[in-house]
This record gives sequence, structure tokens and C-alpha cells, in this order.
Amino acid sequence: MKIQITGIALSLAAALMATSAVAQDKKALAFVVNGASDFWKLAEAGVKKAQGELPDYDLQFKYPEQAAAAVQQRLMDDLVAAGVSAIMVSAVDPKSSTDALNRVGGQVPLFTTDSDAPDTNRIAYIGSSNTEAGKQAGEIALKALPDGGKCIGFVGLPGADNARERIEGMKATIAGSKVELIDVRGDDIDMTRAKRNVEDALAANPDIDCMVGFYSYNPPRIYEVLKESGKLGQVAVIAFDEDPITLGGVKEGTIAGTVVQDPYEWGYQGMKLMAKYLEGDKSVVPADELIIVPTKMIDKGNVDAFEAELKSRIGG
Amino acid sequence: MIGRKDLGLLILIIVVGTVVAIINPRFLSPINLANTANLIGLFGIFAVAQAFVIISGGIELSVGSIIALLGVIFVDLVAGGTLSPGMAAIVVLVLGCIMGLAHGLLIAKMGLQPFVVTLCGLLIYRGAARYYTEDATAGFPFGASFPMLEWLTAGRFYGVPHSLIAFLAITAVMGLVLHRSVFGRYLFAVGKNEEAARYSGINTDRIVIAAYVICCGLTAVAAIFIAMYTRSISPSSHGNFYELYAIAAAVLGGCSLRGGEGSILGVVLGTVLLQVLQNLVNLLGIPSSLNFAVMGSVILIGVIADRQFSHRKTG
Amino acid sequence: MTGISKSYPGVRALDDVGLSVSPGEVIGLVGENGAGKSTLMKILGGVAEPSAGTIVLDGEPLARLTVARSMAGGIAFVHQELNLFENLTVGANIFIGREPLRGGLLRFVDDSELHRSAQPLLAQLGADFDATTPLATLSLAQKQLVEIAKALSLKARLVIMDEPTSSLTSTETERLLATVARLRADGVAVILITHRLAEVERAADRVVVLRDGRCVAALDRSEIQAATMIRHMIGRDLKTLYRPPAGPPGEAILDLAAVRTAYRPDQSVDLSVRRGEILGLAGLVGSGRTELARAVFGLDAPLSGTIRVDDRPLPPASPTAAIARGLYLVPEDRKRCGLVLDFPIRSNVTLASLGASARRGLIDTAAEDRQARIQRDRLDIRAPDVTVTAASLSGGNQQKVVLAKWLSMRPRVLIFDEPTRGIDVGAKNEIYRLMRELSDHGVGILMISSDMEEVIGVSDRVAVMHEGRIAGLLERVTLSEQAIMSLAVGRLAA
Repeated sequence: MKIQITGIALSLAAALMATSAVAQDKKALAFVVNGASDFWKLAEAGVKKAQGELPDYDLQFKYPEQAAAAVQQRLMDDLVAAGVSAIMVSAVDPKSSTDALNRVGGQVPLFTTDSDAPDTNRIAYIGSSNTEAGKQAGEIALKALPDGGKCIGFVGLPGADNARERIEGMKATIAGSKVELIDVRGDDIDMTRAKRNVEDALAANPDIDCMVGFYSYNPPRIYEVLKESGKLGQVAVIAFDEDPITLGGVKEGTIAGTVVQDPYEWGYQGMKLMAKYLEGDKSVVPADELIIVPTKMIDKGNVDAFEAELKSRIGG
Repeated sequence: MIGRKDLGLLILIIVVGTVVAIINPRFLSPINLANTANLIGLFGIFAVAQAFVIISGGIELSVGSIIALLGVIFVDLVAGGTLSPGMAAIVVLVLGCIMGLAHGLLIAKMGLQPFVVTLCGLLIYRGAARYYTEDATAGFPFGASFPMLEWLTAGRFYGVPHSLIAFLAITAVMGLVLHRSVFGRYLFAVGKNEEAARYSGINTDRIVIAAYVICCGLTAVAAIFIAMYTRSISPSSHGNFYELYAIAAAVLGGCSLRGGEGSILGVVLGTVLLQVLQNLVNLLGIPSSLNFAVMGSVILIGVIADRQFSHRKTG
Repeated sequence: MTGISKSYPGVRALDDVGLSVSPGEVIGLVGENGAGKSTLMKILGGVAEPSAGTIVLDGEPLARLTVARSMAGGIAFVHQELNLFENLTVGANIFIGREPLRGGLLRFVDDSELHRSAQPLLAQLGADFDATTPLATLSLAQKQLVEIAKALSLKARLVIMDEPTSSLTSTETERLLATVARLRADGVAVILITHRLAEVERAADRVVVLRDGRCVAALDRSEIQAATMIRHMIGRDLKTLYRPPAGPPGEAILDLAAVRTAYRPDQSVDLSVRRGEILGLAGLVGSGRTELARAVFGLDAPLSGTIRVDDRPLPPASPTAAIARGLYLVPEDRKRCGLVLDFPIRSNVTLASLGASARRGLIDTAAEDRQARIQRDRLDIRAPDVTVTAASLSGGNQQKVVLAKWLSMRPRVLIFDEPTRGIDVGAKNEIYRLMRELSDHGVGILMISSDMEEVIGVSDRVAVMHEGRIAGLLERVTLSEQAIMSLAVGRLAA
């Protein structure tokens, strides 16, 4: 009895898949992110722009329902089963998912973005270099603290590659100067803890000179705490990403600067790249398989232009 | 009036506090105390809420998701200017009570298990919160200012955060309800022995439903305070695991997961201890990754010590 | 196989009881509730250890049986509550824990072998279903057959059936008795424990009557008559507990008209309790008395019928409403239903009447304490203080706390369900005195009791329940154990 039911279910599933494959004569390209965040809204806008230029493709933008490697893996397996032609993924945990990513990469062309997985059979990585971004943050710090000083960093997951590379990059730049990064506090992406970390850091080190927010939501928490304790402007703030509060602080001059990535370009260029690759143009992949979209330093001088560009992208 | 269990917890807090203060005297600095007090207020409100449900013999697992959903709604209504902060607060409170009513009805009238009902709540509200903003972060735009609302929720009175004052006020009222009112007595009776409560003419269904309404209603209050603290809410992670903080505080404070036991004072002390532990991790420079491990170990030690010294005596 | 014989001198629950069973013999074991039947069976099953006496099993003398030895000796039980798994098939139930296996180390259950070997057992019992049938689809009577088949599969030579027919219809009972006859023909011995004397009359070769832990009679086939058995079952001295009421009873205060409960939907009950009387409600365990009390008190909704207190109908299924009208229940299981054991005496006493000690929803602790102390003194609850927990009290004092809960309000009708079970003699008498005191103050009392001495000693009238209906109503002058027992076992002639 049970065997029969399973059999029916299987053939039903097969039939469904067959029909959807037939119905979908356009090739599908999927952009799989590592979790829900505003950051990816920009990439989604980029993908949308690419869709306008790639009418023969069906571009899909997929959020896993949880930022967990297993959930993301299942999502990709489902996509492969549903017949997508290529996948671009920001892997939740690239290091321990090598086998799983290889499995996907064995079935469809696989590209990585945001966080790379160089040990897999992925075709190429498109995104920023977190180390470069960290170096830029270091430059901002050196400029903001010409006489040197002590910095504390705040980050969601200190062990994650993107966090580690940014921190390493920053340390590399400030090495030898009088600026030092004395500690980095993690918060497991819990905003309440993120804010409390800043409060506690300020309580434990009242003479701190500078604070660095490595994840997009960290600088706003730093900004709020400094504002509430009246230390805004006394402590240099170095930010990453483009949270509205961060940009506001940059405009105001209370945040020294922020290093922004360009997820819009990842989405846009990434999709175009995948389409070209599928059409047989292998030359789009450079020899080192890395396509770096440079990060930018935003300070008081160029923040308005940046914000305008951002608005036009999200709006469009 | 302080129970033996509560006294033990108080001693534990003092010991931990003293050790931390010796290692890093800044623990006792006014700014640090005020910051910690603020978080005690935020987490205490929904821990007290959880205690009502636990004492009734149930459990409320959807706390974190409720905080996310109601927080997102509140920030969206206020930041978008749809409603005045006062009206938005009322909307959020009513929504919280409706959620509690739904949980209570499913549990008391349909006989579903609290764990199952509230686990489904956890999933549903989280999904609803994410759908509401389409996974975007709900936040106040730069420079947005609601002086009255901010003063009420995040302000300080001679250095004492308003969240703590609100928490103490809620605690006083809820302590009266739990330990002095007829309802409170019935709640303990239902938690201890629902059958005997029924045989004594207590409308046990109504008591259980009321426990969930109180729990979710107070959680809604906490949701507003927490939303105003973080000022921006990413619906997929906001409030994750907060139900566990609440349950941990309640259990530390002497609530039995079998129901019918617990005190408001215990829950307050449990919350204080949890927040001091978080503070200590930062102040002593213990790697953040050990945060939960420290918390878990201290809870375990507390519960074991309680068991060892109590000789199964209630009181 | 030689017979099994046992004797246990010097036990209180069982006093020097001897019983021997030979192959192919059907023995009826009868006695009142608490006569010692279940203790005897526990000893046979190896669950309880006799304090004295010997058991001879197949010629081997033993001081006691263990569960394993009992099973190995071929003793099997068919309990009132069946020990079966609803989600498995008949065959799987029969061989549970002893499934035939295949596949070597993989240890798959060999389902076909299992069902093949179950089939002859079912045939032997004349079952009309086969081994692959899911158990859940069977009737209670059929499930009993499965239990018996399970016993046979264990090579049982003695099957002990405890009240096997108490929940069966008359046709099903017939079939069960036919099964007993089959077993007997196959050389299997059967001990039939039952309250239904008619069945014993028909099926038993011998009857053993237990009373107060003693074996009071062993009747041969020719002596087995219901009247004889009843005489032996109740033949004890009657102490006079009776205190006459202060005056004649008043008008009906609790009135049940055609009340049907889910327990016995095919029967209905008409009954009225009068002001100032103690109405005893007798009957065997399972006759539906507790279920009736639950329906009256509003814990369960009656299927139909009306319940009136003071001539006004009571809303169904609401203990709160019943309590508001002065109808209270002192439940049978006081630890589970009567008390919150971890609460202090004080909180237990005031649990149902907190409103009286409260102002605007807040408890006036001084008033509550006063109320609890008044009741403690009135009922002479022996405890160091009203703040000690109910769990720390003796059975008698616990029962007084339950009573105190109701007496602190204004009782009009009090239902007592087994009011003195597990209570020492002194406390018993105090409770009887209280009941009379209450009835003299115009309270109507309905007392459910399986203790014959109590029923006769305390009641002004006795209603006897049998299988969900009132089999008869006896006035004080016609009250006798014989009369009650006859009605209780379903025989109209007394």
C-alpha cells in the first residue's frame, strides 16, 4: 500500500516537472542569496535591470527561508530539479559546503557571489573583495585618526569569512600606524545584542577613539548609542555598507566614512555573465576566475551623489 | 516575603556581580548600570509575561516572533506616519491580545498542546513579519524623531531608563495579580492540579485563556520598547530565541515547567542574572561566541544548586 | 499436570485462603468489592508476594511466584483493561515482543509467518475475524478474544479472567461463555472473576467465595446458586452506625429526571434526594454511579434529561453553576480531584469560596486565614497549622479539608463519592457524624459507597444501581445487605 502511494507520488512529481519544463521554454537563471536583508534588495534591483536586457531568460531571485546552509542547499537542489540553467549563489557556509556546492555545480553551471567558494567547481566568483574593503576601511581610519587611537569593532558573526577578511584587511592597513583595533565583538545578528555590545564597549572603554561597524546594521547601532550618550563626533565611526542611518551620519559628518559594496552590479553583471556563458562565450570568465566589483569609499564629499544613485536603482 | 529560592538567586547575582566588579570596576559605573538596567527592563517585561503561561502549566514559544511581527508593524505605522505613536501602540497591544486569545482558545477549548500551538505561532508570526516588509528592514529614516515616543520608551529619569521604570510598574501590578488576586490563586491551582480546580468550580478554560492573553499582551508592550531600542528591525532575525531568554529567566526564577510554581520576584531576579551575564561577557572581554555557553552553564549551575539545597521542599 | 494449590495464613488482605485448580476446570471467584479477589490474583501473577503460605505449581512448592515463573507456569490474565495496541493487527498483538523474525541480523518481522501462526489460535477460539485484521476495527468482545488468543500462544494452561463480561452485551457474553467452554474442553483451566452471578451459575464447575480476605465458602457444581453465593458474600455482623435523622425528610431538593450519561447511553436514571435525608447509592464498581455524580455536578454533560435543584433546572456541564446553587461534590479520588496537594490547607479550604475573602479581585489574606481556621476547628483537622500542605496530611484529614472547602459555603445538596475510602475508623465516624449534622440542617445528601456496612449503617434510603440504571429503591425498614446485593447483581427477587 505505502509503496504504491510513493510510486504514484513519484510519477506525479515527474509528470509535474516534465510539464513545467515544457511550459518553460525560456532558460531560467537563479540568483540565490544567503538570507533576507536589505542589502540584497539592491542585487535584486540589478537582476531586474538585467532581466530587461535579457528577454530570452527567466531571471529568478531566491531567498532561503532561513540563513542556514541546509535550507539554502535544499533550495538549490529544488531549483536544479525544477530545471534552472545556471545558479549564482551567496553560500551561507562556503567552506563546509564544498561537496554540496560541487553537487550543484556538477549539474548546472554554478557561480558564486558575495562569499566565494574557491575550492569548488564553481565557474567564477563575482563580487567584492572583502580584504580590499577592509583595507579601505583602514584608510578611512588612518585619515580620521591622524594621531592614532584605539578602535573597537562590531560584527555579526566574527568567524564568518566576510567578517574575518574585512577585519584582516583593516588590520593590514593600520599595521605599523598608531591606530589599533583592540577587540571585535560579535552579536549573532541580533540587533538588541548589537546595540548592547556598543553600550558595553563604551562603558568598559570610556576613552575609546573609534568604532568600526563591520556588518551593515552595526554602524547604525553605534550611531544611536553615541547619540544617546552624547559622544557623537567625539568617537570616530567607520562604517561598512549603506544603511540609511549610516549615510545620514556620513552626511552629518559624525561618521567618518563607509565602505560600500555594489550588490547592484553583482546582480546585473552576474546575470549577464551567466547568460553569455550559457550562450557559449567562455571568454567572460577571467583566468583567475575572479570578477571583482570594487568597493567604494563614501565620505562627506561623495555621499549625496551615491545616495542619489542608490535611489534611482531601487526606484527603477 | 522573600522566598528561599529567590534568596538563593539573589545571592548568586550578588556573587557574580562582585566578582565582575572586582575584575572590572567599570561594571559598577553609572553608565553601565543604566545600560544593563535598560536591558533588564526590555527582557524582563516579556519574561514576566512568560511566567504567567508557565505557571498555568503551558509554554509560549512564539514570543520572539511576536516581538518581530508587532515591532515591524509598530515601526512601520509610526515611521510611515500612518498612525500617531499612541494609536499605533494601541493597535499593537490589541493585536498582541488577539494572538494570546487565539492561543488560549486553541489550547483550552480545542485541547491542543501548548507546545504545538505556540510553535506554530512562532513560525506563522515570523513568516508574517517577513512578508509584511518583504524581508526588508523596518526602521526609522535618518533623523526621524518622535520626541514624546522616544522619551517615553528610551528616555531616562535621573539616569534610570524608562524601560526599567515601566518594567517595575508592570512587575508590581503583575505581582499583585499573581500573588494577591483571586485570578492568581486560580492560576496556580490550574497549573498544579487542573482537575481539582475544575472540581472546585473554577472555570479552568477561562483561566488558561487569560494567561495567554496576559502573556501576549505584555509581550506586545515589550515589542514596542525593543523596537524603540533597536530602532530598526530586520524581520528575519529580530527577537530570534527571545522566548528562550524568557523561559530561562522564568525557570531560573523558580517556575516549574510542570506548572503551578513560580514567583514574580524570582522571574525579575532571573532576568537580572541573565542580563548581568551578557554584560559580563562584554565587560570581561570573554569572546562573544561564548555568550550562550556562559548563560547556559550558569543556568544549569543555578538549577542544580537549587535542587541540591531544596530537599524537595516547596514553599 | 498436577493441580495448583496455595494457602496464605496470617495476611490481612488475604487470610488463609486456599484455592486449587485442576486442568479443564472452570472456577468462579466471587466476593464483594475489596474482598481480596484482586490481591489473590496479583499473587498468582507474581506481582505481589504472599506474606505466608505456599504455592504448589505442577507439584513444585514455591514461597512466591515471580512474573516470569507465573508466565512459564502457564498462567495468563485477561484483565478488565485490555493490554493491546490499537494500531497493530490482531496477529501482531498476539505475538507482541515475540515476533517471528527473518533477514538474519536485520531482524525484520516476518509478517506472513506471524499471521500464519496466529490463525489456528483464533480458530480454536471460534473467532470470526482473521489475524491480519487491524485491532482498532474490532469490538471490545473481539478484542477480548485476541487477549485470550495471546494467552493461548503463551501455552497458557490457566486463564484468569477479571470481570470479562462487565462491558459486554448479552450476545457477546454468550459467546464469551462459549469460549470458556471450549477452553475447558481443551483442558485449559479458567478462573472467572465476576459480579454477575448468573454467569457463574452457568459456567463454573466450582465457586470460591471470598469475604474480608477469607475464603468463606467453596461450592460444588450442585450448590452453585445465586442466593447461596450472596449469603456467603455478605454474611457478616452488622454494626449499628445508624443515627436517625432529627425529623422527617422534607421535599425533594435534588431531582433527576431521565438523565442519560455517555457511560451508559442506553439507560436513564430518575432519582430524587430529599431535604434532610441521606440517600445511599449502592451498586457494584462499574455500575455507573461515579459517572452519574459527574453528570449531576456538571463535570460531564448528560446526554439528555433534566437535573433540578430546588425545583429549578441546573444548567448542564458547569460545576460553577452547580456550586452557585449549593450543589457540591466530594470526589472519590481526593488526591487528584479533591485537593491541590501542594497547596497549604488554607488555600485548599478557600479554593471554591475565594470570592468571599476577596475585595475587588484581591484576596484579603486575613479574612482567608480566618475562614480556614474556623473550618479547621469545626472539622477538627489535625495539622500544626493551616499553612502546611495538604499532601502532608493523613487520608482522613485530607478528606476533612475537602469537606471544609464545601462547608465554608452554603451546601444544599452534597454528593459524597466513596467518602471514607482509605480512611481510618476514627475519622470515618467523624465524617458520618458530620453527614448527619448536615442533613439535620436541611442538606440533602447523596452518598455513593461500595462499602456495604457504610451504606446500611448511614443511609436513610438506598438506591441501588445496576448497569447504568436504578435497579431498586430500598426504604430503611427493608434495608439488608442481601436485598442490596440482589439488586446490585441484577436479580430482582430479594
